Amino acid sequence: MPKYLARRIGQSLLTVFLTLTTVFLLVRLAPGDPASAYAAPNATTAELARIREQFGLDDPLLVQYGLFLRDLFTGDLGTSYSFSSPAFDVVLDRMPYTITLAVSAIAVTTVVAVPLGVWMARRADTRRELGANVLTIAGQSMPDFWTGVMLLTVFAVVLPILPASGFTTWSGLILPTATVAVLQLALVSRLVRREMTTALASSYITVARSRGVSESALTWRYALANSAVPLVTALGTRFAALLNGVVVVEVVFGWPGVGSLVVRALETRDYPLIQATVLVTATLAILVQLLVDLAYPLLDPRVRLGKAA
Amino acid sequence: MTTAVSAGRPSAVTARDLARATATRQRRGARLKLWAGAICTALVVLPVTLAGVLPLPGANTQDLSRRRLPPLSEGHLFGTDQLGRDLLSRVLHGGQVSLAVGVLAVLVSGLIGIAAGAAAGFFGGWIDAVVSRFLEAQLALPLLMMLLLVVALFGPSVTVITCVIALAQWPEVARLTRSLVLVEREKAYVAAARVLGLRSWSVLARHVIPNVVRPASLVVLLLLAQAVLLESALSFLGAGPQRPFATWGRIISDGQDYITTSWWLVTLPGLVIALLVVGVNLLGDGLRDRTRPRSGKGA
Repeated sequence: MPKYLARRIGQSLLTVFLTLTTVFLLVRLAPGDPASAYAAPNATTAELARIREQFGLDDPLLVQYGLFLRDLFTGDLGTSYSFSSPAFDVVLDRMPYTITLAVSAIAVTTVVAVPLGVWMARRADTRRELGANVLTIAGQSMPDFWTGVMLLTVFAVVLPILPASGFTTWSGLILPTATVAVLQLALVSRLVRREMTTALASSYITVARSRGVSESALTWRYALANSAVPLVTALGTRFAALLNGVVVVEVVFGWPGVGSLVVRALETRDYPLIQATVLVTATLAILVQLLVDLAYPLLDPRVRLGKAA
Repeated sequence: MTTAVSAGRPSAVTARDLARATATRQRRGARLKLWAGAICTALVVLPVTLAGVLPLPGANTQDLSRRRLPPLSEGHLFGTDQLGRDLLSRVLHGGQVSLAVGVLAVLVSGLIGIAAGAAAGFFGGWIDAVVSRFLEAQLALPLLMMLLLVVALFGPSVTVITCVIALAQWPEVARLTRSLVLVEREKAYVAAARVLGLRSWSVLARHVIPNVVRPASLVVLLLLAQAVLLESALSFLGAGPQRPFATWGRIISDGQDYITTSWWLVTLPGLVIALLVVGVNLLGDGLRDRTRPRSGKGA
């Protein structure tokens, strides 16, 4: 177990490192100059040159990379060009908002999608289930920015009962959560249905039924417990993806999370800020995946970590 | 699959029972999905492909005296936008770009995915290790963020966006192909082909891949739906192709500013996207249901 953990953490660190290097190279190889985005519109060539020198953008790529690595190991991710404060702090300021939205969306998804999926599996292929099935397909087919704008129109413009943007009161959380949850709900409930129909058709269910186990116990304690591993994997993956910032939904609702931050950082070519965002979100996402992997033995005693799957 | 058996003696199983059997119901469900999917898809794809010949005003022709006309106005079925351009014409012409990007992206990702997945599954060893690392890394990466990054850096041309979407999607095909090939390579015909003296590459290309292409291509329809959504999200964020026509996401983000007064500028293009994606998803789902041997197996 400790050996497995060490190997997994090593792998995760390597992935984060490779991601950062990729991003570092990408932003610098691409056309575009942060100095001209940062300077006043009518800056002279000399002023631009001074800004470039100040940010160290004049140095050869390898030197820049070396400095970047040195700073990284001392925990310094550089100063954001546009915020003029440490990039890491700017990202950390935004993280709570993204985490709040991700947690509430995944909570709503779990609470609704699991019972819905179980119901669909138990009623599989009846007319009503076909209806629900088609509804979930519709749910995963609507573009999320469009769902967001539509919800906004109905609940903030036509019936002004919910705030349209920002996060000043808790009611501001409702519309973004609903927008994110529609898609997640559709995906997760379909997964639950698939896993549960397989589980309910297994022979251990028939055996348990013949021994007089009640239908509700069969569904919730037998079949659902056996579908727990893929379900938790899916929820974990979805949660990790949400932590990376629900860029589109954040933009629609003016949500002050990392998603809208990254859009701004890209517009201004704010290299340190882009790198800091990628570092923080990629680390968090990988951490969630690791936790999910570690949870497997708890969900299914047959799983032994570190043994080949 | 299941066919009604005509026995010489009377059976307790009536036609009614057969009609209610799970297998019948499943097939009926799959058929319904296929039909509904085909109709929804055709409703969008046909007008979009015929946009050039339909009697429509030009997509970029402005008429400032006829701004923001509601739908069903004379000559403008979907109404007009803030610059007096015909919304239907914009949606259809923009759709040509959206669809082209989606189809191209899926083709590219399908080719890369099948090639990489098949090689990883068949040869194993270091090829498998490399491909699997890529697949894992892709799960961990902030996808949309990376796509935005690439588009912001390399410019929102159709080529860049196609490549970016393909890049986002090939792992899905590769993962599926790899798992299919892992099963396939243990089968007797592979051993037989080897005994006959075929080299590994020929066995893979001539015998294994043809056997996995069909199941692997089913996922392609679902990917097409995702590609259309991804492209519209990118263009909503301003990272979509601008020429020759604004695509769906861009039309919606333009209309967002007029949401209080002109609801149709956002609602109608969104409905068109949703209709197409629902159609494609239903088709994919129905096809998968139909090819799946029995519920409970496979999936």
